[in-house]
Amino acid sequence: MPQPLAPKEAAQFRTIIRSFEDKQYKRGLKTAELILKKNPKHGDTMAMKALILNSQGKSDEAFPLAKEALTVDMKSHICWHVYGLLYRSVKNFEEAIKAYKFALKLDPSSAQIQRDLAILQVHVRDYQGYIQSRTAMLQARPQVRSSWTALAIAHHLAGSLTEAEKVLTTYEETLKSPPSRFDVEHSEAVMYKNSIIAEQGDYQRALDHLETGAKHNLDRLAVLECRADYLLKLGRKEDAVKAYRLLLDRNSEHTLYYEKLEEAMELSPDDVVARKAIYDEYAAKYPRCDIARRVPLDFLSGDEFRQVAESYLTLVLNKGIPSLFANLKHLYSDSFKKDTLRELVEKYLTSQDVDSESKDKGEAAALYYLAQHYNYHMSRDLAKAREYVDRAIEKDPKSVDFHMTKARILKHEGNIKEAAEMMNQARRLDLKDRYINSKCAKYQLRNNENEKALKTVGLFTRAETVGGPLADLLEMQCIWFLTEDGEAYARQGNTGLALKRFHALNNIFEVWQDDQFDFHSFSLRKGQIRAYIDMVRWEDHFRDHPVYTRVALDAINLYLKMAEKPSANGTNGTDEEDALEKKKAAKKARKEQQRLEREEAERQAKQNPNKGDKAEDAKKKDEDPLGLTLAATTDPLGEAMKFLGPMLQVSPKSIEAQIVGFEVYMRRQKYVLALQCLNRALGIDAENPRVHEQVVAFRKLLDNAPSDLTPKVLETLKAEFKPVDETADLSKYNEAFQAKHQASPLHVLSAIKARLLLGVDVAKCEKEISSLIEHASATFTDAVAALETLKSWRSKETDAFRTAALAKWPNVSRLSE
Amino acid sequence: MDIRLLTTADLPLIQHANLENLPENYFLKYYLYHALSWPQLSFVAVDVSRPRKGPYDYPKIVGYVLAKMEEEPTDGVQHGHITSLSVMRTHRRLGIAEKLMRQSQLAMVETFQAKYVSLHVRVSNVAARHLYEDTLRFRNEKTESKYYADGEDAFSMRLDLDDVAELAKRYADEEEDKDKDEDKKKTTNGGDATIKSEGVDEGEAVGEVGRDPEADGGKERKIKVAVGRGLGVGDLVEKDESKH
Repeated sequence: MPQPLAPKEAAQFRTIIRSFEDKQYKRGLKTAELILKKNPKHGDTMAMKALILNSQGKSDEAFPLAKEALTVDMKSHICWHVYGLLYRSVKNFEEAIKAYKFALKLDPSSAQIQRDLAILQVHVRDYQGYIQSRTAMLQARPQVRSSWTALAIAHHLAGSLTEAEKVLTTYEETLKSPPSRFDVEHSEAVMYKNSIIAEQGDYQRALDHLETGAKHNLDRLAVLECRADYLLKLGRKEDAVKAYRLLLDRNSEHTLYYEKLEEAMELSPDDVVARKAIYDEYAAKYPRCDIARRVPLDFLSGDEFRQVAESYLTLVLNKGIPSLFANLKHLYSDSFKKDTLRELVEKYLTSQDVDSESKDKGEAAALYYLAQHYNYHMSRDLAKAREYVDRAIEKDPKSVDFHMTKARILKHEGNIKEAAEMMNQARRLDLKDRYINSKCAKYQLRNNENEKALKTVGLFTRAETVGGPLADLLEMQCIWFLTEDGEAYARQGNTGLALKRFHALNNIFEVWQDDQFDFHSFSLRKGQIRAYIDMVRWEDHFRDHPVYTRVALDAINLYLKMAEKPSANGTNGTDEEDALEKKKAAKKARKEQQRLEREEAERQAKQNPNKGDKAEDAKKKDEDPLGLTLAATTDPLGEAMKFLGPMLQVSPKSIEAQIVGFEVYMRRQKYVLALQCLNRALGIDAENPRVHEQVVAFRKLLDNAPSDLTPKVLETLKAEFKPVDETADLSKYNEAFQAKHQASPLHVLSAIKARLLLGVDVAKCEKEISSLIEHASATFTDAVAALETLKSWRSKETDAFRTAALAKWPNVSRLSE
Repeated sequence: MDIRLLTTADLPLIQHANLENLPENYFLKYYLYHALSWPQLSFVAVDVSRPRKGPYDYPKIVGYVLAKMEEEPTDGVQHGHITSLSVMRTHRRLGIAEKLMRQSQLAMVETFQAKYVSLHVRVSNVAARHLYEDTLRFRNEKTESKYYADGEDAFSMRLDLDDVAELAKRYADEEEDKDKDEDKKKTTNGGDATIKSEGVDEGEAVGEVGRDPEADGGKERKIKVAVGRGLGVGDLVEKDESKH
């Protein structure tokens, strides 16, 4: 029971709540003080004060105060509710749910507490709890449609499709007259129900429901797509044909519609004549349609392909559409098509009537195509690519696209420095285009020019953002820049700033996860349920996106490096060298800090003193702008787990994830988990060179088991480790692997690394690595990998190797780093 | 490039495309806000033929239109608004922006009975203005002084959707026709012939999408278009939340 207040204070207490809701924090605090002066131990007021303090960012004051409020008034639902809200704000959802439940016990009629509890339950995917809460809320407000929809959602997410459908039907049956045809909530509820029926696999019922209940539904596209899909699934081919034709008339740029149409027409994939006829029909019907013209190139072959390709190429080259190559390169996996396209463009280039005057059409377009052709990894000949791009540039010395392609060619030659310069030249040809600006900054970062790149992107970030371009990029969640920036710092050995970026990125992904919170209630008001379900399901796995995996791998690899003890494995490094490096890095960091401070001071001097809230500035102040604290961690492997855990959970099929997982777990002496990663990696690609190194390392571990390993665990590990038999000679196993993969420098490199692990003299291994330059199929990428290995061993051979490699590949920037 | 409805899973790469192409950027929640408020209105152009890169591949977004309905129209007329539209430089002149816009406009009419669609465009962005004015027939309503963060003015443009409404009606009629056809067919047993005659029948009826001889021939130099910064975006979503 909340402690009672005198009428005047009770009124004041209500104003606190209002002030809090209106974000009038100062006023709220003032009022709270007034009450506390008279009633110093008033729990609810203390709790409200704590809540306001927390909203002001003073959570270290808020928590003790909220706890104190609870001790003076254990029976107040307000105190418990606030306690829950505080926990929620620091994302301790488990404690928050407990507190809400206490609060609700004390005041079962509170809709507010019940709602907060429900939202948190769905947020943490406690679907059974959510069903309970939504059932209670429905009982409290059965007259509102969203109460029913919410309960259906709870059942749906929990996997009880029939329950979900039943709830929706029950509500529908209470409707005395059908809602207006333009009632968006109703329209969506019908389609939501339809999706639940379809999800049960009952397509006939879904179709019937669609035809009776969704005839005039507002979401026409969804109705048409569902209908077509159900008809096809039900084998009603003729009707499906019509349904897909309706869709194609709305949007002829959708490959899936054509494919389904073919399926409905029961066309065999080999019946290319009939298939082609469909595309021709739509190409004639919609003259601007691209798909209808291009897709036949996917399934035609031989002379037919040549013919169609020629007319397509001629049309597009005549128009000078710059995306031609991007539109065709997927055909290159077929070597006949790859060669034919090149021949056709070459033929076009030398034909009589080609436009040789235009800057972007005809000859210029063909030269541009061939430059991209020879730059593409499946048809690469960089010397030819250069020749064609230079000829294209002659046609139009001001073309952004031509210069951009030239920069890409340079990059593929390994000449990162000149590539960055060339991309900057392209950028200067169109200063108003952010795309080329972004590309230029990216190339500058590849060239380890962090400051320059920030200045480049700064030409397009918002000038008014406090903290300059970087703050704007952080606020706008500019993942590509932060990733490239962090990778560039990592390459330069600036661990602090690299970690700083990787953690900033991790924060962005956390924000993405938190973003869904508001939509648990918002979507019920908007009524767009299918989109909401789509979002919830995506949130459950969004970290499987390659943008996350890349950051996670970057961070983990950096932490692994940090965890590497110097002088281990009998390599040549010394502690003094280490200390020297550290000193250098610290000096660099100090300089960087000074520069940042100087810039910040300049910026503040420039700023309008009347603008901007100082309090907010203070809140935003970054205590560790250079990541020095991050770099100073004594537990790099523990930190790595923050990235590894989520990645392994949602991306188990990524071999890179399993490989770094093995490394982290081995160093943390979590051998069962390490073996799990290794076995998964073997399942994905048993011939992967790094996996081979790990197999050897693990066999060796089992052969010389550390003393702290219990016999039982050791037995399990031995039973689960299959690739090399216990009786096999590990050295021979390694030699066999090398012999099998002799043609691949990277595999040989791994075999050499495994040899070092097996006790072969390091000098011998170094020599073997050095000789990789002579390997018949060695590329500069292999040389860079070899160089990295020598560097990590602190090998005396490093410099000699670098010189030799640079003699063979003189322009490769990474070899001189 | 394929044109299709946007899904939540597309959002990270839509945000990426926006950051790479345009100076007006938004955090992911603002994209979610669009996708979860008006899921029918936003479309993407994706490269579906690109070979998959690894087991967790997401389709590459080469263009998108992010659209909404005006929540509380000051003129009391239901209308749509284009929040952002852009196409990667590498995929220009395929008519992608126009195709995205047409899909969005159709949905605005069908789902929300929009009477017109509005947008903002930088006064200096000649290419975007060309697309809106000449290809899509938007007209300039007024100039909004210093609309953009860098102080540049915006043209506030709009397009009446009467023509789109007519198209929507035609589509609806055709659907009805199909239904009737179906009834007929049940008695006559059409078979292949029905399919062919269908094609002929439709030839006349449909055509707005893609039938733009004006725009054909690659007139649009640059189809990358900047459309207004969502001022106070965070506040907008938050405000909606507190209403409850």
